[in-house]
Amino acid sequence: MEDIVYQGEWTWAATLGRFLIAGGFAAAIAGFIGYLMGALGKGNESWKRFGRTAFIIHAVSFLLVIVLIYTLIFNHRYEFQYIWKHLNNQMGTPLQFSCFWGGQEGGFLLWMFWHIVLALIFIRRRSTWEAPVMAIIASVQAWLACMLLGVYFGDYQFGIDPFLLIREAPENIGLPWTRNAEYLSLPLFADGQGLNPLLQNYWMVIHPPTLFLGFASTLMPFAFAIAGLWKKQYIEWMRPATPWAFFGIMILGTGILMGGAWAYEALSFGGFWAWDPVENSSLVPWLLLVGGGHLLMVNRNKVTSVFSALFLIIGSFILIVYSTFLTKSGILGDTSVHSFVDSGILPQLLVYLLFFSGVGAVMMLKHIRWRWIIAAFWAVLLAIGIWGSSKATMNVTIVFLASLAAVLIIAYAKHIPRPKVEEDLWSREFWIFIGSVILLVAGIQISFATSIPVFNKLLEPYSETFMGLHESTGWAWFKSLADHNFAPSTDIDAAYHVYQVPLAFLFIMLSGFTQWLKYKKTDPKKFLGQIVRSFVAAGALLMLVLHFFDFSAGEFPRIALVFATLFAVTSNVDYLISMVKGKWDKSGSAIAHIGFGLLIFGAVISTSQKDIISQNQMGDITTLNNDFDNREDILLLQGDTLQMGDYFISYKNRYDKGIHVMFEIDYFEMVPKQFKEGDVIFFSNMFFEAKEDHLASRTFIRDMESKWRTIPLPNERHAREAQRWVAGIPGEKLFTLEPRVQLNEQMGNAPEPDTKHFIHQDLYTHIKWGQISPPETDEEGFLGGRAHDLHVGDSLLVSNVLVTIDSLSAVPDSMKPAYSLLEKDIALRVHCSLRERNRVEAIDPLYIIRDSLIVPDAQTYDNWGLKFLVNSFNPVDQTINLTIWEHESIRRDFIVMQAVIFPQINILWLGCIIMIIGTTLAVRHRIKLSKRSKKA
Amino acid sequence: MKKTQIVLIILIAVVVGTFIATFTGANTSVAFEEAFANPGKEYKVSGTLNRDYPVTYDPQTNSELTVFHMFDKEGNSQMVNLKKAKPTGLEQSESIDLYGRVIDGEFVATEMLMKCPSKYNKNKHNLETAEVEN
Repeated sequence: MEDIVYQGEWTWAATLGRFLIAGGFAAAIAGFIGYLMGALGKGNESWKRFGRTAFIIHAVSFLLVIVLIYTLIFNHRYEFQYIWKHLNNQMGTPLQFSCFWGGQEGGFLLWMFWHIVLALIFIRRRSTWEAPVMAIIASVQAWLACMLLGVYFGDYQFGIDPFLLIREAPENIGLPWTRNAEYLSLPLFADGQGLNPLLQNYWMVIHPPTLFLGFASTLMPFAFAIAGLWKKQYIEWMRPATPWAFFGIMILGTGILMGGAWAYEALSFGGFWAWDPVENSSLVPWLLLVGGGHLLMVNRNKVTSVFSALFLIIGSFILIVYSTFLTKSGILGDTSVHSFVDSGILPQLLVYLLFFSGVGAVMMLKHIRWRWIIAAFWAVLLAIGIWGSSKATMNVTIVFLASLAAVLIIAYAKHIPRPKVEEDLWSREFWIFIGSVILLVAGIQISFATSIPVFNKLLEPYSETFMGLHESTGWAWFKSLADHNFAPSTDIDAAYHVYQVPLAFLFIMLSGFTQWLKYKKTDPKKFLGQIVRSFVAAGALLMLVLHFFDFSAGEFPRIALVFATLFAVTSNVDYLISMVKGKWDKSGSAIAHIGFGLLIFGAVISTSQKDIISQNQMGDITTLNNDFDNREDILLLQGDTLQMGDYFISYKNRYDKGIHVMFEIDYFEMVPKQFKEGDVIFFSNMFFEAKEDHLASRTFIRDMESKWRTIPLPNERHAREAQRWVAGIPGEKLFTLEPRVQLNEQMGNAPEPDTKHFIHQDLYTHIKWGQISPPETDEEGFLGGRAHDLHVGDSLLVSNVLVTIDSLSAVPDSMKPAYSLLEKDIALRVHCSLRERNRVEAIDPLYIIRDSLIVPDAQTYDNWGLKFLVNSFNPVDQTINLTIWEHESIRRDFIVMQAVIFPQINILWLGCIIMIIGTTLAVRHRIKLSKRSKKA
Repeated sequence: MKKTQIVLIILIAVVVGTFIATFTGANTSVAFEEAFANPGKEYKVSGTLNRDYPVTYDPQTNSELTVFHMFDKEGNSQMVNLKKAKPTGLEQSESIDLYGRVIDGEFVATEMLMKCPSKYNKNKHNLETAEVEN
């Protein structure tokens, strides 16, 4: 087979890119070896310089890879699979930037990019820790680089190649067009697929880089921790690692919150936090990093809980890797609203995860000999895992996890410098330690709940064993284990809140009073005297909150949590004013804790007090079963004005704008209705007469006793005059919201919310259902008809026309010719009346039987825009089956919308910003301290 | 006993507790058969949309009811009443997780999760027909 000379391809870019990745990979390994040798023993300067050079080569290679990919993006080189999949010609410059991280390959590159940036900053500082820390970083980079190699060993895929040409993609091999030398001139390759439209917004430009910087920032404290263990400087690593840890807390926290803001502002998840696996798996490392960071700070003042600090810092990095594994391996399957697939590198990701978990644990062992023995044991396990059967792999994984736990317990028992004296109960370090334990427990609970699909996978090979146990013991629980199909609970929020609310209460209380405790020992009396003010202030604020918001008694844990957040805020504000006294350097922690308190306060109030105001106004939407009285959505006909919450709303118009269909909804103020003495109204089938002139309250119940008198036996005048009770009438137009539906061929159309922001609350609305494309009609313009079973006396509403079945009669022989009927025909007239406002017309569609066959006789009533067909008549129960078609000209457009009020949500965002500012100040302070100690 | 040890014992107890609670509190995914055998009990049923039947959603009659048919893991098809507005992308879904129970001989779902076609593996079909477009 002769070689095809493909036209117009930038094959040089693929070659160059692959060369750079391979070179960068090799350089990372060389950097690792150089720094490793440089760090051994007392250190070796020339090896260290070699390592540094190699790492810089690695850094330059990968920066060039990124530049190259951007060159391909900006030149729209669609012969590259990655570009074709994530870019199209419509995307503007900011989105072209973001399409770099649209796929997994770019995700890895972005992650590596931030590692490189942080590492280069670190190298510049010429720290004494450079060699050991950089050895760890270089090894992590080598692992990540190998994920991008994209080479195959037989069927085994090693990495995913970002420079893969589309004709080389495994799924395209053998397709006819790949043999076409000029395939790039095919219309298909003139434009790419583009990012999923759901991702095409500015959040996609800012969120992933921030989050990945957060991920990357956990590497630095991790590398310091391992280096400290390696060099037996169990305490000394903490001081230089502290600023990095706090930087990580700040940036990872920002990234996570940005994700929440994205979900709230642009996606219709109905809130900012959904306990989704993706969110959880980045939250847990953050929790651990917060705990670890605080313990590092404690150790600056007093050597204590070294093991916990190591455990949390190492754990946060491992969990970042675990999170990558969860989200990129496809194992989460359908437990997440995000969609994931197995990219073919699951084994590689798993080995990467287990490798660093192993490294982390082994290094915690004190005795060098044991480190080697355990490492060798695990290497053997790894070999069995890779080359063994899948059952062997599972067994090996379980043995590994068990031995990992054992190693951690031994490491704890034998652990490195323990405090000589126990912490005092009235000391800051003791309560910070407790706080970090609480964070760990919270993290573990979230991890377990998120990892249910992983546990199912691990249980799979032991199905038979558990089935046997079930049969011998009769315990149902063993059967569940054998079935290994555990699923997250239905009420996701409740499943998490039952644990997280009490834990958050404890933790936030701690963040309130621990500020006031001194290191080593505090005078309890003085301490209690100091916090009592904040306690009282928080109590007073709680009363205020309970006055404005309805909490039921069953919500006690939540009320306690609200109190805790208020206490954290008042206590830290007090501390800021009376103790810090405007010194910026020392104010970081108090400010950050105020922000955190406000954040949780806003979150609890806005979610627990959210009010779905879009309850249905028309018809009964709970026809099926009263158990499921959802009543969350409003059905809005175009042109109608309905009351919704404190507004009147009107669906005005629908129009197309780019890839969106916008639904224009006007909001009017609600003016309370003025009733006069003697007015007659009906409310839930009862008649009432106004006792006096009055303005209506929001609900009828409030007015019923004082303002209305029931009319037990309404007369004709009452029936004629009575109107349905309404609370108000529409007043001035206030604003317009435009919730929209994004047209998305790949994923199905997706609703996007529109939110009206007020200082004290948000009005959040999104479309649940709307007509996107013109409805299908027959050639005469009638919409698909609907059949109804009706009896004499029944009425139904078709569009705006009220159809009533008045009577039935047979067509007498004398009239048959007038209806163009044959004499032998049997015909039934269905006398109906059509009513719309003041217009009434009587019609009589026919049901005709000729030679015992039904003759369909559809009748069109043009001036009503309706078409009738009597399908059948059952003489036994006198049921008429009637199909009615509406003409598209009379059909009114309608939407189903949900509207939610989130009260005080701005406090949440304010808290976020304050927390970020506070943490930034703390990082600045820590950097200063770290520099000062270096000079000293 | 030292205070830290007491705290660690509590910690371990809580962790073991949550571990067990995670599993006992978790739903289990079943086939329709089991759900129909125990009416009124809540279950999770996973499966795929049965495309032989239409998905009906008639908001003017009931904006909170979507009716469709689904195959469970064992391949049995059942009619499902989902008490929600029709989720976008239902027709495109690759798999469905339903949470609900049997009431009066019908499966009534209150919650539903879908797995939709991935954003990473899309439009393979287009590439296969590229020759035709030429």
